[in-house]
Amino acid sequence: MVLFVRDGSMSAILVRNLCKTFQMKRKAAGLRASLAALWRPGVQGVDAVRRISFAMEGEELLGFIGPNGAGKSTTIKILTGILHPTSGEASVLGHVPWQERQKLAFHIGSVFGQRPQLWYHLPAMDTFYLFGKIYELEDTALRRRIGFLAEAFEIEELLETPVRKLSLGQRMRCEVAASLLHRPRILLLDEPSIGLDVVAKQRLRETVRRMNEHEGVGVLLTSHDPGDIEALCKRVIIVNHGQIVYQDKVSTLKRRYLTVKYVDVRYSEDLGAGFTLPGVEMLKVGRFGAKLRFDVRTTPVEQVLSGLASAGNLIDVTVSDPSLEDVIRTIYARGEVENG
Amino acid sequence: MAKADKYWAIFRTQLRNSFAYPMDILGRSIIIVLFMWIFMNLWRVTYGVMGTRAIAGLTLQDTMWYLLMAEAVMLSKQDPSQTISEQVKDGSVIYLLNKPFNFILYQAAAGLGDSVLAFCGNILMGGTIVWLLVGPPPGVVGWVFAALAVAMAWLLDFCFAALIGLSAFVVEDSQAFRWIYQKFLLVLGGLLLPLDFFPQWLQQISLTLPFAWIIFGPARLFVDPSLSRLGDVLLQQGIWLLALSGIVWLFYRWAMARLVINGG
Repeated sequence: MVLFVRDGSMSAILVRNLCKTFQMKRKAAGLRASLAALWRPGVQGVDAVRRISFAMEGEELLGFIGPNGAGKSTTIKILTGILHPTSGEASVLGHVPWQERQKLAFHIGSVFGQRPQLWYHLPAMDTFYLFGKIYELEDTALRRRIGFLAEAFEIEELLETPVRKLSLGQRMRCEVAASLLHRPRILLLDEPSIGLDVVAKQRLRETVRRMNEHEGVGVLLTSHDPGDIEALCKRVIIVNHGQIVYQDKVSTLKRRYLTVKYVDVRYSEDLGAGFTLPGVEMLKVGRFGAKLRFDVRTTPVEQVLSGLASAGNLIDVTVSDPSLEDVIRTIYARGEVENG
Repeated sequence: MAKADKYWAIFRTQLRNSFAYPMDILGRSIIIVLFMWIFMNLWRVTYGVMGTRAIAGLTLQDTMWYLLMAEAVMLSKQDPSQTISEQVKDGSVIYLLNKPFNFILYQAAAGLGDSVLAFCGNILMGGTIVWLLVGPPPGVVGWVFAALAVAMAWLLDFCFAALIGLSAFVVEDSQAFRWIYQKFLLVLGGLLLPLDFFPQWLQQISLTLPFAWIIFGPARLFVDPSLSRLGDVLLQQGIWLLALSGIVWLFYRWAMARLVINGG
């Protein structure tokens, strides 16, 4: 694999001091302001990406996460060459994306979870054949590739069905398979699991991991679901307000910031007054359920679950991680925001 | 070869996509039947009042077949300006900009693929009613010449639509430009009535502008399919196509650097 070499580093993606400012129109409310805006429209610069620097290696699974509006998608769009940055440098597989967009397109694949690339009224197979032509693949090689991906993604039965009739989970598997047809070296996945149920998410994650292992495709994954990152990535970058606030191994992130668990529990019988568990903070207690929080470093999960089970007849238990916003808040609170 | 092949594949895929709802195509073609019936009543009265067999050299039969071709071109031409504008607004343009093809040629191939079936539907439905009302169409030559000119007309129209659509890269909503363009086609393009019926000075102005070669050129060629007229129409279309495609290319490069895509 050809990697981009600069300053002694070997990176498939190299980003340095990347900035993107959008010029947004602004107008005060009311008719007078509307008339005034006709004469002198108000424009305000909004910094979507602010001096972001990072590197990604060729076969890495890198998480790029942050809340809505953090600048994740803008960064990805710059890396695919769709958007021009306001300043800064970026190189993807040795190409400057916004200058060599079409050349680069042969080597990267992308899935933007909120938007379909498959033709909605046609079976996915039609889009696969169209992509084969677009990526200038030879017919026999294309057929072989479709066969391989259909098996890997378990979509053999779905390829002849019009895309509009597929479930979201089935469609997403077809979308990711379509993005891998031309054997890209880097796959950019922008919120691929958005709207998927737990089972569909799990299947998608497993397939992406398999493709990374078998084909060595590097994956840059954006998500606002920490679960995606935990399940797939070795390293994570967290962005907020257009800046990198954290970058390190996922295991370190888990150890330092994902130690708190939230539990929602429901019972078929009245819990009675004064329901508590040792080492657990009761956030809300009702007659038939409770919401609680505990830190796994001081209170083991088994201890909490057995305490909950012995408190009455359980109907439902949901254990969840803190939201990304909570993680970011903790990073800021501890003064551990990365500079530059 | 592989590069040209991809645009042919896009054209065919779009054509196949149009077949997803054949009844929709036929349903949309019904409007041309209504238009032709209204035109027939208007022009029958006009010719009757004037007490003449031909106006500016066109008989009632010629005028009706002219209007059929003009309407068929107009109703079946796709509106890439709206498509591009929507793709920018809903963010789906990202999938078209990160593929190894030329965005403009993609839109042209997809637009043509969409137009072909709609054009056939309009000609079939509208042609049937016109035939029943005024008699048969001009000979086979008219169809062949018109087919060439219509393909060129769609490309010419595409250039305008692309310019309007690309303005969405900068202003997001290009509806106002689209509205103005449509009115130009309606009046100066010869959609409302053949340019032959205009006073000489207005006719001269209209023929100097490109809009006439999108509607009037192919429709007039259809009812008067001479080789000299074919040469004239294709030459005018070719000149405008060359000039406009250059402007589209320059504007595209300028607009790409200023693209703002909605959505996360």
